[in-house]
Amino acid sequence: MAVNERTSEASFKESVGLCVCSNLKYGLNFMNELGSQDGSSSGKAIVAEHLCKTFEITKGMLRRKKTQVVALKDVSFEVDYGELFGLVGPNGAGKTTTIKILTTMLIPTSGRATVLGYDSRKDVTKIREKIGIVLGGERGLYTRVSAVDNLRYFADLYGVPRNIQDKRIKELLEFMGLSDKAHVRVETYSKGMKQRLHLARGLINDPEIIFLDEPTVGLDPEIAIETRSMIKGLVEKGKTILLTTHYMFEADALCKRVAIIRNGDVVALDTPSGLKRYVMETSVVEVEGFGITEKEVARFREMKDIISVSAELGENKQVLKIQTPKGSEIISEVQEVLKDSHIYDIKIKEPTLEDAYLKLVAT
Amino acid sequence: MPNTLRVIYSAFRMAMLYWMADPQWIIPNVIAPFVFTAVAFTLFNAYEGSSGPFGLYAVLGGGMMGMWGNTIYSSGFAISFEKWQGTLEEVMAAPSKFIHVIAGRSISNALFGLINMVAVFIVGIFVFKISLGIYDPILFTISLLLTLLSVSALGLIFASAFVLSRSAQTLTNGLETPLYIISGSMFPIALLPFWSHPLAYILGPTWGIDAIRLTTSQQYASQTFWTGMGTNSALFLDLTVMILITAAYAAIATVLFKMVETRARTMGTLVEA
Repeated sequence: MAVNERTSEASFKESVGLCVCSNLKYGLNFMNELGSQDGSSSGKAIVAEHLCKTFEITKGMLRRKKTQVVALKDVSFEVDYGELFGLVGPNGAGKTTTIKILTTMLIPTSGRATVLGYDSRKDVTKIREKIGIVLGGERGLYTRVSAVDNLRYFADLYGVPRNIQDKRIKELLEFMGLSDKAHVRVETYSKGMKQRLHLARGLINDPEIIFLDEPTVGLDPEIAIETRSMIKGLVEKGKTILLTTHYMFEADALCKRVAIIRNGDVVALDTPSGLKRYVMETSVVEVEGFGITEKEVARFREMKDIISVSAELGENKQVLKIQTPKGSEIISEVQEVLKDSHIYDIKIKEPTLEDAYLKLVAT
Repeated sequence: MPNTLRVIYSAFRMAMLYWMADPQWIIPNVIAPFVFTAVAFTLFNAYEGSSGPFGLYAVLGGGMMGMWGNTIYSSGFAISFEKWQGTLEEVMAAPSKFIHVIAGRSISNALFGLINMVAVFIVGIFVFKISLGIYDPILFTISLLLTLLSVSALGLIFASAFVLSRSAQTLTNGLETPLYIISGSMFPIALLPFWSHPLAYILGPTWGIDAIRLTTSQQYASQTFWTGMGTNSALFLDLTVMILITAAYAAIATVLFKMVETRARTMGTLVEA
């Protein structure tokens, strides 16, 4: 067993910096250098004011029973022009509902949202013309036709003039590294290629704001890094981006500010380093071992000096991240709880954004 | 704001590309009407001989069944398909009007039904030796294309239900055959119960199939449900009423789609698969 002190930040930032996708060499000449600030009196690209959304679910044929599900309780935040803003939270926290309201796909039950100064409830067409939406995953593309056919179709749906379409489609395919497969059916594409095509589709109307809903979910690490590089490239081109993600290191590396959303409420909103201050007084004890079960995890969660515990209970290896103010003093207690398991390694780490997130969503 | 015709054309093109990429969709839409036509023609032929007007009913009816069935089935399926592909949200999030996208798809579906109709014509003429002289080819083509638009517009009304409900397929499956019979595609509506006549008259395809028959056979004019008029005035009436009904369908579909979109934005029911 080894006990290491590690103080380094996630090395991800460096890897992103070093791995800026070669595709960025392409110009993307059509892109606005800075988002034009249409109709916005507040000077903010996005304003969400006390958004609340309740869904009504009806069950039964004869005796119809209505139940209310609260998806958003009170969500407020503002996004500056050219900012990459992160929205993070567990499943069902309300991230996608928030994005859908901002992109005019849903009407809030109460509250107000403006995008580029336009009201998301009323100015539907004006907003849709100026935004791009990229929903993650392999779906959302016409797989039996080519990338060019997909992009041309959405270009028409977004009213991109025909004389601009050809040039823009060519540039986007180059930017995304899909030029050589431009006329091949999308069903033959890899996951990463599909994700890049998603991004290209989201940019087809040269949007001022891009909404990215978990764009790297399910991607191989290499492709995920490539996708993040592209996202960074878009921000450098002056685009405003609202990103939802499950990956805290991703939010830490990419976002200028992050809002943590839990059960339909924004529980924290700050820069990544600001959020880390929530857990400055704590340390994270990372334990790698074998034979660790839910029973031990539950015991840790019951211990009074432990703020949060996250567990990855793999078949061959289990990893626990225990957040505690006691630092290395807790190691003996950890060893006691895990006396029937094999401990490979214990590390004391500086808290990351993920630890701040865990603390905030747990409290 | 995207150009309406451009959006309709683009949706039409995408649907055609998909049809070409996946030709198995054609099989149920070609085989079913063909079998139905063959059965009907055999029955009519045994009753009256191949030169009688019922043979015309069989061939035109079989063709109409293809066009009609294809539109109703495929318009609904087009939306279900978008849901399965996960593209419905992307399409609805675009600034173009969703009804224009579905209109393009609906027209492509009706056009495939038209191809089906041609196949039935060819089989009727060459296999069953039916005498089908087209009396006025130009008016025949105009009548056929207007009927195609009318069927497409009716398909749009049904399509609106598919945005919201997963059980909409049941609705259209249940309505396909009654509407097909009531519109007089296969049988003269005079043979149908009187109560069904008002229903027949509010269906654009009823007037369309009558117009097609008039342009196909001059002598057949006296047997249409609108008696006492010469061929041209009866045809003019058929086409005028059909255009008015089609315009009404388009207006109703526009209102329905607006309601459906508002409901989807309020209830969040868009992505039900």
